[in-house]
Amino acid sequence: MTSHSLQAPALVGEPLAPTLVEKTVVSATPADNAIPLVLRGVHKRWHKSQAPVLEGVDLTLDLGTSTWVGGRNGAGKTTLLRIAAGLIDPDRGRAQVWGYTAAENRSRYQRLLALLPAGDRGLYARLTVRHQLRFWARIAMLDPAQVQAKVEETIEAFELSELAERRVDRLSMGQRQRLRIAMTFLTEPEIVLLDEPLTSLDAEGAEVLERAIGGLMAREGTLLWCSPSGEHLDRHFDARWVLAEGRLVAE
Amino acid sequence: MTELRRSGLAFGAVMRRDLHVYLSYRTRIVSQVLTPVFSLTLFYYVSRLVHVSGFPSPASYFGFVVVGIALISVLYSCFSISEMVRQELVAGTFERLLLSPFGAMRGVVAMTLFPLFNAILLAALTLGIGCALFGLQLHWATVPLSLPALALALLSFLPFGLLFAALAVATKQGSMGTSWVIALISIVGGLYFPLTLLPEWAQTASHLQPFTPATELLRHLLVDSPLQTSTVTAIAKLVGFAALLLPASLFALHHAIRLGQRRGTIIEY
Repeated sequence: MTSHSLQAPALVGEPLAPTLVEKTVVSATPADNAIPLVLRGVHKRWHKSQAPVLEGVDLTLDLGTSTWVGGRNGAGKTTLLRIAAGLIDPDRGRAQVWGYTAAENRSRYQRLLALLPAGDRGLYARLTVRHQLRFWARIAMLDPAQVQAKVEETIEAFELSELAERRVDRLSMGQRQRLRIAMTFLTEPEIVLLDEPLTSLDAEGAEVLERAIGGLMAREGTLLWCSPSGEHLDRHFDARWVLAEGRLVAE
Repeated sequence: MTELRRSGLAFGAVMRRDLHVYLSYRTRIVSQVLTPVFSLTLFYYVSRLVHVSGFPSPASYFGFVVVGIALISVLYSCFSISEMVRQELVAGTFERLLLSPFGAMRGVVAMTLFPLFNAILLAALTLGIGCALFGLQLHWATVPLSLPALALALLSFLPFGLLFAALAVATKQGSMGTSWVIALISIVGGLYFPLTLLPEWAQTASHLQPFTPATELLRHLLVDSPLQTSTVTAIAKLVGFAALLLPASLFALHHAIRLGQRRGTIIEY
């Protein structure tokens, strides 16, 4: 089993999720309760006849850090992100946000974490960009008083003003990707998981994404970025790993 | 209270989303209006062509069948949830619900709201067309009572939709079996003809589901058809079915979602 841990942060959890830290969780170690996102001994096998796609993956993401995980197509990066996001369960091991698994407190887990899935799915084709963002803000259960302002702020921050009244099925792939990224950051989550976020983005879109990540880092958030190893990324990451044969190894 | 309010607003957001999507397909609205017109025209002439025993006049059978036609749209709406869930799975938007604090369970329940409101409007439209074009006589004294009766009926119908939604999550098929189930319900629920025409075993079976008491009660309130049992019995049956089936269907949906998450198949479609 490969174990990787970043250095412990100076401020542990308190400013961002005090209510989570206060509650005692039996399944988590005290140290795990104070870390934004932890994967411990995560195993996942899709078919009994096949080798496991993840085999005892350990990963710790601390406050204010950015991590890149690469790997060949089919290496298990998306599976890793889906488990980290609480979308699917590991066969063994656990994913925890501030010491909680998604099964223990799904609503809080999803409030603190946001996932940008790979591809161009997850949008309602017949809704306008503004409707889409407002809908997402509502089901993200944002403070009702903030919804309108947050949506408008997001439209501006992600340079979607010209597209705000346009239906999603009339957007280009790059514009859809920008909207998907905007949805990911709309709620100002503490932990952001990005699966191949540069797909279809032009230089302007990549710049908008970079600004959003800058904002996340400025508020001591946590970033996990997955993309194929061949992708050339200019940005700085605090840690870089490659997923190969079900395990994380240093790049 | 804040959490409850946010949850209520999220339910409202799902309804608004479905309304926007519905309104974006303009021809669907025209089609929905035309369907009851043609159905009622068909049964208006059937009521005049065939003498049905137990009905003193063609108008009384027409009144009987109009309520059945109005309710069939409500039934279709209940069963349409599974297809909606399948569309969400294919579009990847179900994944978004799973990743939201609102969650997939509440999301699926919220998805039932717009189709049901739409079906109620359609049922009202069907009755309105029946009155305006075909001389249907409503029993106005008890018509207002049909609204709470319909709400109760919906609570007893909804579990069937949720069960099929659970099946859609588990099997990735939206309309698996829904058409024959609706056809079966329309027969044993007495939507188009009286249950007395059915064989005895089928009549017995017709009392094992909520559609028969709901149809009879609504007919009684809307067109003053005689009830086979008392009003209290019909209401008690509906309350019983709702109390039994709603928790069971929510349990099934929850487990279908959790099973999909454990196996990892929740993201498949």
